[in-house]
Amino acid sequence: MSTPVISLNKTRQVFSGRQVLSIDELDINQGDIIGLAGPNGSGKSTLLRILAFLDAPTSGTLSFMGAETSIKPGAVHRQVTLLVQEPYLLKRTVYANVAYGLKVRKKSDITTKVHNALIQVGLDPESFSSRQWYELSGGEAQRVALAARLVLKPKVLLMDEPTASLDTKSAKLIRKAALKARTDNRTSLVVASHDLDWLGKVSDHIIYLEHGSIVETS
Amino acid sequence: MDFLLQGFLKGFALLFTGDPETYSAIWATVGASSLSMFFSLTIGVPLGFFLGHKTFIGKRILRTIVDTLLSFPTVVIGLLVYAFLTRHGPLGGTGLLFSIPGVAIGQTLLGLPIIIAMTANAVEGLDKRLPITLTTLGASPQQILWATVMEARFSIMLAAMAAYGRIVSEVGISMLVGGNIKWHTRTITTAIALETGKGEFAMGIALGIVLLAVALLVNVAATGLKKKAVK
Repeated sequence: MSTPVISLNKTRQVFSGRQVLSIDELDINQGDIIGLAGPNGSGKSTLLRILAFLDAPTSGTLSFMGAETSIKPGAVHRQVTLLVQEPYLLKRTVYANVAYGLKVRKKSDITTKVHNALIQVGLDPESFSSRQWYELSGGEAQRVALAARLVLKPKVLLMDEPTASLDTKSAKLIRKAALKARTDNRTSLVVASHDLDWLGKVSDHIIYLEHGSIVETS
Repeated sequence: MDFLLQGFLKGFALLFTGDPETYSAIWATVGASSLSMFFSLTIGVPLGFFLGHKTFIGKRILRTIVDTLLSFPTVVIGLLVYAFLTRHGPLGGTGLLFSIPGVAIGQTLLGLPIIIAMTANAVEGLDKRLPITLTTLGASPQQILWATVMEARFSIMLAAMAAYGRIVSEVGISMLVGGNIKWHTRTITTAIALETGKGEFAMGIALGIVLLAVALLVNVAATGLKKKAVK
């Protein structure tokens, strides 16, 4: 069996003396699509931040490709990316937003890659590339943010409530784009959502969290 | 009222005929303000960024000091710089007194608190999601720093304009440190003060028109930047 991309072992997260997350074991394998469900405060976002290597767990181990990894900005963040519920767009054009991650990686052929990523999320590159960040609707901004992550072909894409404030059409487009990332690049997806129907359509497994612990896996 | 009208007419004539004395004051102002803006921005933006971005002991005290310096009277700055640059002062050997670079030093001290305070405010006011976004897009710590400055760019430009407005219109520093020497350190504001004192309104008005034009340009640009900064 191949090494999991990310694995958690006996991981605990404690804020101000209160335990908010306790996971004995969790492996994210390449190409997995894992849904995270649970009520508000169940620890979904805390878990995503740990999986994104943004927060170090209070105890336990967090590994990337079998090696324990630091949360300092670095190599792991070039492989694992997070799309938050209300993503922040840089004060630049749509093109510059999508191209940012490629530029920091000094990639070539950026224009074509940005063009393809915009198409993947259902945005016409001709009419959207030169738009400024403030000229987008909420759904368009969400899709631009997703394109900015998909274009990087990450090993793991984490999404926190990606469809919470979107209409049905945008939610469908995001689902399609995320699934295509798995098919094309074997990207693993971890999606936290209250929308069980949406989760059911995309996920291989759904993990139910309550009070920071896994109560059920389906 | 006639003398006012005459003053305006003569003022325009001086400007459009390229009167050398008028343009000498304009170029002295441009020289001193350009130098001081260069130093204010080069020193002030990193300091303001540090003040807004980092948390450290004494930060609040430092902010209070910087905010207090925002209302530092220009004549007091002029006096301090004069005391340092005068022959018996600690920097008397530099020969900067009564020179444009000397004026620029004083004006830098005037512009610095504005740039530092406004840059710090701009950085503190940036969206809390920005560092997470940049980190999860794979940026290195240096790239995060640079992108953060870029995100605050409209507010930093606004700070530069506010500083420029204050620098270009000050009299105290130019008068004390520059000495108002004709063809040499006489700036627009010191020339206006002198010419008005002599009853020569025309040149004063001509130079006043230039200052007003600068103020108008700065305000128009600042209005546009303010809109972008708050979006």
